[in-house]
Amino acid sequence: MRLLLLWSVAGLVGIANAQNLATQIRDLEARGNSRAARDLLAEAVRNAPGDPVSLTFQAEFLDRHGDPAAREAYAKLLGSLEKSGGDRKQTARRLVLLDLLHGDRAAATRHLAIYRNAGGQDLGTAIPEAKPRTAGQEWTTIDIPGPLRSFNRMAALSPDLPSEEILPALARNVVTNGYQAANSAEGLEQTEFLKLVVRYLAQARELAKLAGEARKIQIDQCESALTGDLLKVLGYRMRGACGAEVVLETVNASRAFLTIDSGFPLAELETALRSNRPFSYAYGSTSVPILYNAEYWLGAKEKVQGEFIDAFLSDPQLCRLYLGVSKLDRETADIMKAKIPVVRLKAFSHVLDFFGGMFYIRDGKAVVPGGPKAEAIWAELAGAPPSDPAAFFERLVAKDDGWLCSYFDSISRISGPVQEFLTQPARLRRYYGAVKGRLTSPGPARPVFRANTDLLLLTTRLRLEADGSAHVPGNVEIWKNLFVKHPHGKYDGKLTKSAVGWKESDDVIEALFALSRKAVENEPLRIYMALSDMNRRRAKPLLPATVDRLAREYRVFGAQYPVLNETPRLTDETILAYLDLLTAEASIRDQGVRADAAGTLQALVSFWQIFLRQGSIPEADADKVFNQITAPFAKVKAERDVFAAGMDGVKALLAATKSRPDVSPQDRMLDLLAGFDAEMESEAHISLVQDLMKVFEAQRLVSLKALSDLADHLDAIGKGAKVDPAIVARVAQRLADVQLPRAGLSGVEKNSLVFGYYAERHIENQRKLNLRAAIERAAGNPERLAEIKGSLAPLLRDTLVGLNYAHYAPPGAQILYTNPIFVRSHDFLGMQGANQTWRQTEVVGTGWPASAGGRLVGSLVSLSYALAEAEQNFLIPSREQALIWGDLVPQMVQSAKVPRYWEVTPNQMHFTALHLRYADALLAEAALNEPLRTLVVETLQQQAPPARARYVGRLLAEGELGKALENVTPAESFVLAMRLLAAGDYGDKDLAGEIRRLAKAAPEVVNYASISRLFGSPKPTLTNSYLPELLYLRTFPTLMGYSSRVMAESWESSALYYASIANALYMNPGQLNVVIPEWTRSTVERIFATHLEDWPALLRSLRQVGQEAVNKSAKVAPAAGLE
Amino acid sequence: MNSLRKVWALGLSLSLFAGAGVYLWAQDSNRPTFRVKVDMVVLGFTVTDSKGRYVNGLKPSDFRILEDGIAQKLNTFAEGNKPVMQVMEDGTMKPLNPGGDAEKAGPDVKSDAFVGTNVFVLFDTSNYMYRGFVYASDAIADFVRGLDRADSVAVYTFSRNLTRAADLTKDRNNAILGLRKAVAGDDSALYNGLLLTLRDAAKVPGRKVVIVFSNGPDNASMVAPDDVRAVAEDEGIPIYVISTAEASRDAISSGVFKRIATRTGGKAYFAKTWQKQVEAFESIREDLGNSYTVTYYPQTNPNDGFRKISVEIVGDIGKKYRVRARPGYRPSRGF
Repeated sequence: MRLLLLWSVAGLVGIANAQNLATQIRDLEARGNSRAARDLLAEAVRNAPGDPVSLTFQAEFLDRHGDPAAREAYAKLLGSLEKSGGDRKQTARRLVLLDLLHGDRAAATRHLAIYRNAGGQDLGTAIPEAKPRTAGQEWTTIDIPGPLRSFNRMAALSPDLPSEEILPALARNVVTNGYQAANSAEGLEQTEFLKLVVRYLAQARELAKLAGEARKIQIDQCESALTGDLLKVLGYRMRGACGAEVVLETVNASRAFLTIDSGFPLAELETALRSNRPFSYAYGSTSVPILYNAEYWLGAKEKVQGEFIDAFLSDPQLCRLYLGVSKLDRETADIMKAKIPVVRLKAFSHVLDFFGGMFYIRDGKAVVPGGPKAEAIWAELAGAPPSDPAAFFERLVAKDDGWLCSYFDSISRISGPVQEFLTQPARLRRYYGAVKGRLTSPGPARPVFRANTDLLLLTTRLRLEADGSAHVPGNVEIWKNLFVKHPHGKYDGKLTKSAVGWKESDDVIEALFALSRKAVENEPLRIYMALSDMNRRRAKPLLPATVDRLAREYRVFGAQYPVLNETPRLTDETILAYLDLLTAEASIRDQGVRADAAGTLQALVSFWQIFLRQGSIPEADADKVFNQITAPFAKVKAERDVFAAGMDGVKALLAATKSRPDVSPQDRMLDLLAGFDAEMESEAHISLVQDLMKVFEAQRLVSLKALSDLADHLDAIGKGAKVDPAIVARVAQRLADVQLPRAGLSGVEKNSLVFGYYAERHIENQRKLNLRAAIERAAGNPERLAEIKGSLAPLLRDTLVGLNYAHYAPPGAQILYTNPIFVRSHDFLGMQGANQTWRQTEVVGTGWPASAGGRLVGSLVSLSYALAEAEQNFLIPSREQALIWGDLVPQMVQSAKVPRYWEVTPNQMHFTALHLRYADALLAEAALNEPLRTLVVETLQQQAPPARARYVGRLLAEGELGKALENVTPAESFVLAMRLLAAGDYGDKDLAGEIRRLAKAAPEVVNYASISRLFGSPKPTLTNSYLPELLYLRTFPTLMGYSSRVMAESWESSALYYASIANALYMNPGQLNVVIPEWTRSTVERIFATHLEDWPALLRSLRQVGQEAVNKSAKVAPAAGLE
Repeated sequence: MNSLRKVWALGLSLSLFAGAGVYLWAQDSNRPTFRVKVDMVVLGFTVTDSKGRYVNGLKPSDFRILEDGIAQKLNTFAEGNKPVMQVMEDGTMKPLNPGGDAEKAGPDVKSDAFVGTNVFVLFDTSNYMYRGFVYASDAIADFVRGLDRADSVAVYTFSRNLTRAADLTKDRNNAILGLRKAVAGDDSALYNGLLLTLRDAAKVPGRKVVIVFSNGPDNASMVAPDDVRAVAEDEGIPIYVISTAEASRDAISSGVFKRIATRTGGKAYFAKTWQKQVEAFESIREDLGNSYTVTYYPQTNPNDGFRKISVEIVGDIGKKYRVRARPGYRPSRGF
């Protein structure tokens, strides 16, 4: 629309030319050559300087790509329009928003004036003034002795924390790490961590005293009297006389430790003393914001004891209260503070801490899940009406040791039909009755981490049928049997009795709610979720007989179900046949054969998953190919069968992927694993092939081609051909490279190898294999030659397993490059009696000398996660004191390695990036437009906790756009854009128009389902599948046990954000395959997290990495025409 | 098929970069896979007499360097921190001049690359070092101060993860600044940390050593000590270990420390007291100042597995002296 106006103004450029340029630009973008499009536009601008049409094209193009040069381009356009007398309104409007996004208030004010002069009305009259965020009645300050940097180091707080986050973060550290059960008596004692913090505060006070009123430690010269005093406090003394010889050495180890650990500038002091120069160090107490004021939090007794910080550290319950209240939405917190005595709140601080985050008051009423129709039942359950919010929340936290609050929290976190379903009055009451049980103690908030994992999982993943009832895989009878006959032992006595009378799906769901409060392993819920997830994408649900079998076999084979969930195309027959196969494998007596068969089969199945995911095997062929690769293993009795089944599987995979018959299996497999690439020419593809080859070489594996040639040659020898030494040598030479766990292990060390006996034997047998001699001894006897072929089975297993390792190798892959038998050491059997063949892949042997290097045990089903877990501590944090975030990083690395981006079209990547761009524009506009702000905050609240969403709203109102953006994750931005695009004409019309145009032009490709599959992450714990997808979840809290993975899986922002960065760098989507693992590595290395839910720390790191990539690119190739 | 060509082209560029002595290693004829690269070998060693005193003043003609029994032709020769000398065809030496002879000496030799030693200090800041943390920090600071002017030093710390507290620098103050910023950590992943340090050290041209200061226990590493030792061996980086008395009581720790030190041409010290730790550092410093460093491009050798190195002292004096050097290496496969 704007272009049409401009054409009439410009006049110089014909419509045909402009349309031609627009078409060329879109063609280039669609073909993934955005950089050429950018250059073409720059050329157009150079050829017609000052031409508004070309400048408009260029500015909008750069804007759509998030190019930092967009603002400059718009500024040029504005200048050009001013000269030509064109309409400047829209350009000025866009500049206002871009100025705000760049934090340039002055320019925003200037452009807003132009906009208003041009008739623009919707952005208000002025840019809001930024106010200190802690201003206002609710914040005061407290003093902490010493510099904040030192305190943060001692208290394990990130230096990046905003000031108002310091006390909540400290509170969390005190709650989770500050106290432990006392040995001698009931009660708690301080941990070493907290003792050090307390000792540090004492030292800091002494130093502050030395600093005096000037708040500065000043040593004018080495021989000054203060030098000795200072060194005494620091725990050091001088060795040698003042001057070049002086050295500071420890005299009091406790004090010296605090000095070093708190980051006192000891080296600078020493340098000053050595050079006899003055030493000056600002030293005083630091003011830290506190919610409300210190008096509110302290009881009368504590008030007289000293400073707030001391009382705070000495009272874990107070810390927990502070933490809980700090998570509340401010308005809600204020009302609760006004109505509920602090002592009363403190009694339920643990409940508030875990479950208060979803409390929210609107229009004077507590907002409850289910809305007005559910208010009455919530009032009945809590004992107070939501219309009296303080009373309602007070009762809610106090009720049933926190179970009601936990229930409220779980249902509040979801939305849509499932929330509607769960909040139907009768159901809400019934299910809560099940959750509460007869005895409510212990409550769900008693431990340090939440114990309501299952409740959260159940409400998040519950699935409804078309008729509105809850989905129950199979039928109710199967679940009844599971509880009544309980093949693996009784789940719950009461439920066993009541199950006899079950008739409908609600009965099953009620039982699952009842079990979700149990602290023990909740197997029925796991089974329900796994089977429910398997049905989720299937056109026809699994047959009852299949469900029954899968439910009964879950304990043994449940870890393999994500394999069966890789595609909805697997038939019931195939699934049952696979279970038969797994059962039969377990009966192979020879442990070596069994391990080789399991390893080979699992490696082939894993290839099948990878090729399906990457589109190399068509979905329609999924079932057929799966049968082709698995069926031969049903006949396995000896090694020769394993080898034959393995080679047949490879052939089936190659055939299914349309490989040429004469292709080298090794080369083709590498190409396929690197990813389907139509041209096979791209640098990205070659780079991935190189990475695969490096790992393969480092592990000294035998190539598939060498094995295949040797097998064929053995057949030929059996038919009378002469032995070709070259073919034999290719395998034999490789075997000569195989070594046992590094030679030189002492007897003691060997004895400490308490596991992995069969893995060791597997390697030893390969070392002993003398192919030349065996072939000579066989003397052409076909039977003996077949035996020799069987002896290649362990080699084939390692090759296939190794290719899987190489595919999922995390960035850096230090173990794979350093331990040449890491792949061969994979233990498919596990410790005796553990039967780990079909269980999750696990990392064992971490920490020497318990093992001679770690290894992986179990199946290959979660290989990507296990490798990431094993490799994570080889990443090097770039920040002093930071550690790798162990609960998050493996999932982040897995998310960077499992999805591949060969199928992403340039328009899909652009579409994704435009959503984030559009969301930024929405937030910028919301800072100036109150109705839009309200809508943005309401929408954001469906993803972010109420406290954060409303905080973003306040920041926007205060004109703090930059800080507001820091509080919105890319996944939240994406959903915000998606929802407001669907809701109407909001925000930037050009960006919205471009998004809609892309979707309309190719609706079968550019749609949200595709984006979910392409830029989603694998969530095996949440969805029982490795298929990447976006669930648009709220980020999960830290949970106990296996569910710590759930928290990491709820982070969906990385790939979306990286796509936007790649778009800004004008990359082809294929390059994502190379850059995403590298960017992930950089992101992980830069995170400085304070606690296990420190999403802002991850967000900061993510943005830093993206920004650096953009800046680096801008330096290398500034936007042509704008230099 | 085109992709194969590109892979090959990449392989070729690697080989050109690597220098001399490159040949192809491939299992299949269709796709060139990985090449065994034999870069210039840097070999450091010390010579001591029967009383353990360092023997100085020896010349290239006093040594014979053998790889798998094949005599090698020396390229450069240096003693302690004295200037690097180019070894001529006739066995005589002349100083290596920047920009001139350096090129003749080979593609991997830079004029200043072998002046001084690149010392990587790896400091254990895990819970296991809690008590001795500050004393160790003092001892390392003393060591850094006392290094020869020509030496460069980096200070790394580790607990569960590695931290590069001070990158390689000739500025002692910078190194000590980094050291004094070390923060006490949690778990100990000594061998992970050592591996990463070796990887960094391997990227630096010239002579380098790694000095580990640790109590010994490791509860978090994923790599085995002997795999890490193999990396040091292959890269020609001696590992010196200074540990405390507790480590000597742990048979496995002390055994591993001795083995990785001996096999890489370094030494292990078990220091009971802070003073002993200082003495250990002093001993390392002496070792660095009294060692010989030679470089050579290996003669043709079909062995791409472990190549055994022996340093022989020519003539009768050889019988009286003891040479300490790494026993060999495996040619690099390019990762």
